[in-house]
Amino acid sequence: MIKKKLIYIVLLLFCCKGTTQNKVDSLYLNFTIHFNQQLLELHKQYITSKKDTIALDTFKCYISSIQIQYDDNSLFSEKESYHLLDLENPNSLQIPITPTNNKIISKVIFNIGVDSIASTSGAMDGDLDATKGMYWAWQSGYVNLKIQGKSSSCKTRKNEFQFHIGGYMKPNYAIRRIELVPKNQNLDLIIDIAEFFFKIELSETNSIMIPSKKAMELADISIKMFKTE
Amino acid sequence: MRFNIRNILFIGLVVFISLAFVKKLSNDVYFEVPKGWPEPHYNFKKNPLTEEGFQLGRRLFYDPILSRDSTISCENCHIQASGYTHIDHELSHGIDGKIGTRNSMTLMNLAWSKSFMWDGGVNHLDVQPIAPITSSVEMDETMDNVVKKLQRSEKYRNLFFKAFGTSEIKGQLVLKALSQFVLKIVSSNSKYDKVMRNEATFTQQEQKGYELYKTNCASCHIEPLFTSEKFENNGLPIDTTLNDIGRMKITNKKEDYLRFKVPTLRNAHFSFPFMHDGRFKTLTEVVKHYNSLGNDKNLPKQLSKPMNLSDNDRVDLVVFLNTLTDMDFLSDKRFKYPIK
Repeated sequence: MIKKKLIYIVLLLFCCKGTTQNKVDSLYLNFTIHFNQQLLELHKQYITSKKDTIALDTFKCYISSIQIQYDDNSLFSEKESYHLLDLENPNSLQIPITPTNNKIISKVIFNIGVDSIASTSGAMDGDLDATKGMYWAWQSGYVNLKIQGKSSSCKTRKNEFQFHIGGYMKPNYAIRRIELVPKNQNLDLIIDIAEFFFKIELSETNSIMIPSKKAMELADISIKMFKTE
Repeated sequence: MRFNIRNILFIGLVVFISLAFVKKLSNDVYFEVPKGWPEPHYNFKKNPLTEEGFQLGRRLFYDPILSRDSTISCENCHIQASGYTHIDHELSHGIDGKIGTRNSMTLMNLAWSKSFMWDGGVNHLDVQPIAPITSSVEMDETMDNVVKKLQRSEKYRNLFFKAFGTSEIKGQLVLKALSQFVLKIVSSNSKYDKVMRNEATFTQQEQKGYELYKTNCASCHIEPLFTSEKFENNGLPIDTTLNDIGRMKITNKKEDYLRFKVPTLRNAHFSFPFMHDGRFKTLTEVVKHYNSLGNDKNLPKQLSKPMNLSDNDRVDLVVFLNTLTDMDFLSDKRFKYPIK
């Protein structure tokens, strides 16, 4: 009996050790979501550069194929690298990538969105699971970026706007690659929603829900949201 | 008791050996490719078939738990006796009696399909069920809620454990189980198949119909699956109450206007009505439609020459199409409603 108990304790210790070690020694991508200089809160009103008053109820975005470039020119590429950022789930904004080391990071590189391979490989796991509400049904593929909310400028049902940016087939392949030079070694990154709305007239453009030319334009604009601190 | 190295090694060995059995909870089944058929398109390595996975998929297929108010199961629009389609309805109906915009497709030989739906909008069998589950006129449910409902059920927690070695249900596993069930829905034992295997012979009329098929239909409805998997404009005028533009909705390409998936002809005798909007009730009407075409620049080249079938030819062609009926398939007990 004692022996059995001992084994369990030893096993348990191993488990604990494994997880704590991960948390302390890992390099994280830390995203904070802003509207201009302020931290963005859901359902709170903000005014865009086009003078539209908006309040967001959803911000979700896929980040994939993360790479870290070090100043000695070595490159770390995360495997199975698909992460869903969800403003409603603060844990999702901290992405552990690799154990820390002493090398100096010169660049962080990643995709906004999901690549065509994952979009055509059937039922996926983890952050790509269809239960995450980021999978299109009638036309396969992931929504790379989902921004939803309300604005009195939108003459739509309940004044809602919906931007579902995605598409995995050319010419409407909406994935975008980003390279950022971090200002510090903590990889604190900002997503500034104000940049997304910088050129959008919400009275005219308020519902993009299919892969299209317009979605491609907004995918281009979405790159500008990502900034280093 | 001493806690020596031999004991630890022994226990380690026991753990190691038992680990080897962890994955063996389920029984592998093999997917049989009928003789002379091409290799399936579905990648079975990513979703190995097991008896337990198949049975779980079967339960899910017949369980209205997949719909918002537990009224609609997959079977509602995919009834076995009709080749897994919605028999006798031009347009299929779903939750709250709501009517969709298309005639539900048959389910058979899907391991060979590269795309799904009349417009090919779905690119993989695994993700196909997401469309009916989340459609507001079909099941009107979310994948997230389906998983939550299943997770609350002890029966399903056990079934998922048996099939996948985990009782933590995920969207991925729900979809994979459904794939395992529908993948096994294979029709390859019609009279036509028996003739091809030299186990039976066509009657004179069937043989004549087969020749007519080869001349007039086989360029799109290619043997042995009786589809090219392509999208074609088959000359039907648009139904202005639906304005369904077909494949163009997915690709935005002009040339895909009014193009729809070429459906299989297998079991057509039981899968009426026909066409994406179910406008024809009988195979005779279908054949008459094609026989009325020709000399039209908008049609694909396969349909550009008039068929000029005589009345007798039309009858013979339909008689041949009836040899594609696979009664074993339409009544196979393995695919019926699972009795508890």
